Amino acid sequence: MSIDMSQFYQVFFEETSEHLANMESLLLNLDVDNPSLEDLNAIFRAAHSIKGGSGTFGFTDMTEVTHVLEGLLDRLRKEELALRSEMVDAFLAAGDVLRGQLAHHQGGAAVDGEEIRDICARLTDLASGPAEPAPSQPGPSLPAPPGEVRHLDLACLLPPDVAESDGAVNNILAALEEIAAVTLRHRPDAANGLLEARLVTARSDADLREILAFYLDPKELELVPAGDGAEAAYGLFAETPAPPAAEDPGYGFFTDDPAATDAIAATSSADDPGYGFFADLPEAGGESGEGAATTAAGLDHDELFGLFDDAPGKPEVLPNREVGPGDSPAAVEGQGYGLYVDAPGGLGLFDDAPGLPKLPPASTGPALRPAAAEGQGGTAKTGRRLSDDPHIELSKAGRRDTDKTVVATGSDTSIRVSVEKVDQLINLVGELVITQAMLAQAASDLDPVQAEKLLAGIDLLSRNTRDLQESVMSIRMLPMSMVFSRFPRVVRDLAGKLNKQVDMRTVGENTELDKGLIEKITDPLTHLVRNSLDHGIETPERRVAAGKSPKGSLTLKASHQGGAVVIEVMDDGAGLNRTRILDKAREKGLAVSDNMTDHEVWQLIFAPGFSTAEVVTDVSGRGVGMDVVKRNIEELGGKVELESSPGFGTRTVIRLPLTLAILDGMSVGVGGETFIVPITTVVESLQPSLDSIRTLAGDSRMMHIRGEYLPFISLAEAFGLEGVEDVTRGLVVVVEGEEGKAALFVDELLGQQQVVIKSLEANYRRVPGISGATIMGDGRVAMILDVAAVIRLGLGSGKRRLAA
Amino acid sequence: MDNLENSVGNVAASGEYLTFTLGKEEYGIDILKVQEIRGYEAVTRIANAPAFIKGVINLRGVIVPIVDLRIKFNLGDPAYDQFTVVIILNIGKRVVGIVVDGVSDVIQLNSDNLHPAPEFGSVLDTRYLLGLGTVDGRMIIMVDIEQLMTSQEMALVEAAAA
Repeated sequence: MSIDMSQFYQVFFEETSEHLANMESLLLNLDVDNPSLEDLNAIFRAAHSIKGGSGTFGFTDMTEVTHVLEGLLDRLRKEELALRSEMVDAFLAAGDVLRGQLAHHQGGAAVDGEEIRDICARLTDLASGPAEPAPSQPGPSLPAPPGEVRHLDLACLLPPDVAESDGAVNNILAALEEIAAVTLRHRPDAANGLLEARLVTARSDADLREILAFYLDPKELELVPAGDGAEAAYGLFAETPAPPAAEDPGYGFFTDDPAATDAIAATSSADDPGYGFFADLPEAGGESGEGAATTAAGLDHDELFGLFDDAPGKPEVLPNREVGPGDSPAAVEGQGYGLYVDAPGGLGLFDDAPGLPKLPPASTGPALRPAAAEGQGGTAKTGRRLSDDPHIELSKAGRRDTDKTVVATGSDTSIRVSVEKVDQLINLVGELVITQAMLAQAASDLDPVQAEKLLAGIDLLSRNTRDLQESVMSIRMLPMSMVFSRFPRVVRDLAGKLNKQVDMRTVGENTELDKGLIEKITDPLTHLVRNSLDHGIETPERRVAAGKSPKGSLTLKASHQGGAVVIEVMDDGAGLNRTRILDKAREKGLAVSDNMTDHEVWQLIFAPGFSTAEVVTDVSGRGVGMDVVKRNIEELGGKVELESSPGFGTRTVIRLPLTLAILDGMSVGVGGETFIVPITTVVESLQPSLDSIRTLAGDSRMMHIRGEYLPFISLAEAFGLEGVEDVTRGLVVVVEGEEGKAALFVDELLGQQQVVIKSLEANYRRVPGISGATIMGDGRVAMILDVAAVIRLGLGSGKRRLAA
Repeated sequence: MDNLENSVGNVAASGEYLTFTLGKEEYGIDILKVQEIRGYEAVTRIANAPAFIKGVINLRGVIVPIVDLRIKFNLGDPAYDQFTVVIILNIGKRVVGIVVDGVSDVIQLNSDNLHPAPEFGSVLDTRYLLGLGTVDGRMIIMVDIEQLMTSQEMALVEAAAA
């Protein structure tokens, strides 16, 4: 086993990060006052899967943390403790520690031992808090500190067949006597199956329910505190510690329980190695089925029957304080891979079942191991399908729960493929497109009458290749939720730190964007979100004073607009302060005037070193932000704009191209070569007149366009080509780069098209003024202009000429 | 990959060399570095590149720079016609094409008939030479093509990366 474990490390790392992310998002969405049991279970499952995985791979540090984490989660999901917001904080912190440990195992820095001890202690403290049993059954929940004698009224409707039988009723009563002092109020009979009794006991509610669950249907069971101090004399029974004695196992009244039948059906096929049978079980039955199958391995059929006679419909709702002995082998060895996630409840229940031959832990252990080993084998098989890093998730449905993967083998709807393979595919399709274009060009010379069939075939080919290209491109696309999902946490932490109340919304998470862009947009977005929180949204007091709701709102929105993806960050905060920005700009020595439009004023924020924050906080305000944001976004071929109105909020709009691999470009001809000008930079193109060109200092040429003087740059000159000299015979493309506008002089405009960006650096090196290359329809290579660099280059060459 | 490294300043692992002519001289390079041989096709010029870098071509979707060794070594007449040959080399992870006058042969050579090159003040630094080989009375200049193509003077790789 230890030989080839390392080959699954990568799988473990990925799955664990997924579990952690999943856990975090669930925690953030958790309603602290009213947590859904389903979510708690899902969080528990994630923690358990991490624990199982880390145990298997020998990452004991992670196992330890998850073990403590799981302990608290387990109590929560069994509703022994009420969820508090400190717990959520502790869980999130534990998640961070785990993430750090995971990074450490992947070669990152080690996590501070202090931090780990800290979080473990925090979790243990929280977990050891007083039990607050709140069983998920109808009926009031009682805070009942153990050890205190209480008076309870018990009411339970027995099934008719039980109520009819004197023997059965006696058995139940005898069992009750064992655990509490009983005053019978109504003895069930054939006519009225209601059992009513006053109990006096020191046991906690959860304990009682657990014990009674074997005699009485928990759904029918009602347990309420009795009237004040009545029958306190029964206190002498308080100490009754005796566990329920072995009783006749043939209670019979649950024999027609569907869950039992299911479980037995599952057991009969338990030696089927495929695990496929779990897939068919319905969710509720599945859990008992799992428990049954595992336990069944160590029991013979008769015992099993007795066992499931008692099985209530939903074992998972039963409060079960102890972790059954059967749980430990799977959990400690950590080979369960979440398959046995729910087994503790089930096993613990069955082990405690009175009237059953007690299942010694020793016998459960071996029985579980083969199954666990198989579970591992199943996961290993999944692992082998996966290829090396880096991965992208191929489908939105890609979030997998390990336990679900094992349970529902065969219904997996996504595969993991390395990005390299996808890129290779994209390249090949690109080739195909070019070949097809070449074919089409060659065929255009043919006589359409004679070559009718060939031409029709080429037409079809071009349609198919286009479709193929589109779908291949879509493989690289990932939903924006990949980015958005991290923000609830950021916002939560920051809002806490800044004492602000923020309601975060995301819209359009399903908008798809190229993987490369997704990765690069995260940092700028994070910055914008932090800015909004720190500077935008006011403190609750100020908001109330301004007549707004104390809770600020922050919206992240993604949408498609034409060929671009638009991402918006909106807040309803104070908005930008025009005067303050202008003052600050003057202070910084920037050229400003009071007549500037709002739009121009907002743009000042993007100047390097600009911050209007009065106080530099550790959140933001050091002024190294917005310029970096702008630069990052422009590097991606995008644009960023600000809109703001005082008192109503600020909106930042980011426009990005759909993908990094494809660029919308205008192709221009210069000296026989083709260049691509990114369309995002093109302002306009026009035919220059001789008198619009002016020289500056005798050499540098400027072009006068509608009141603006723009540097006039001849591409042929900048690139050392022989282009058209006569200004009137060429064309001018006005472009706008980082450093302002410029007029690029070219020989001709060839058209506008989408081009596939190819790296020039892969086999050559960076060329000044060129951002990449592409392959045109005729198979020739065309250079893609780096407009900002061309402007610099052009201005530089003017100066050089001047110096010469 | 080990082969590549071992062959630096040493005899190629395969002992097989592709020979080509530049003007009247015959050169040999390790055949394992050769990806393919193709005709010369129109290149796309690269701005502000040295003259011997002709430009780039599209080799089945990969942008490949083309170096004319005739210009680099001042040998032969840099004319381009249907007989001009481009040898596509695979050096490390890079693909580079070299223009030569013609490809002549594949020869077997072991260290016995490989003589150290004398130190000349030639354009071709002896650092890039494996030695001189003799086959059938012809002298073949054995070039360590990997060293040569990744050298600073070829200006093919980024200075920082070299």
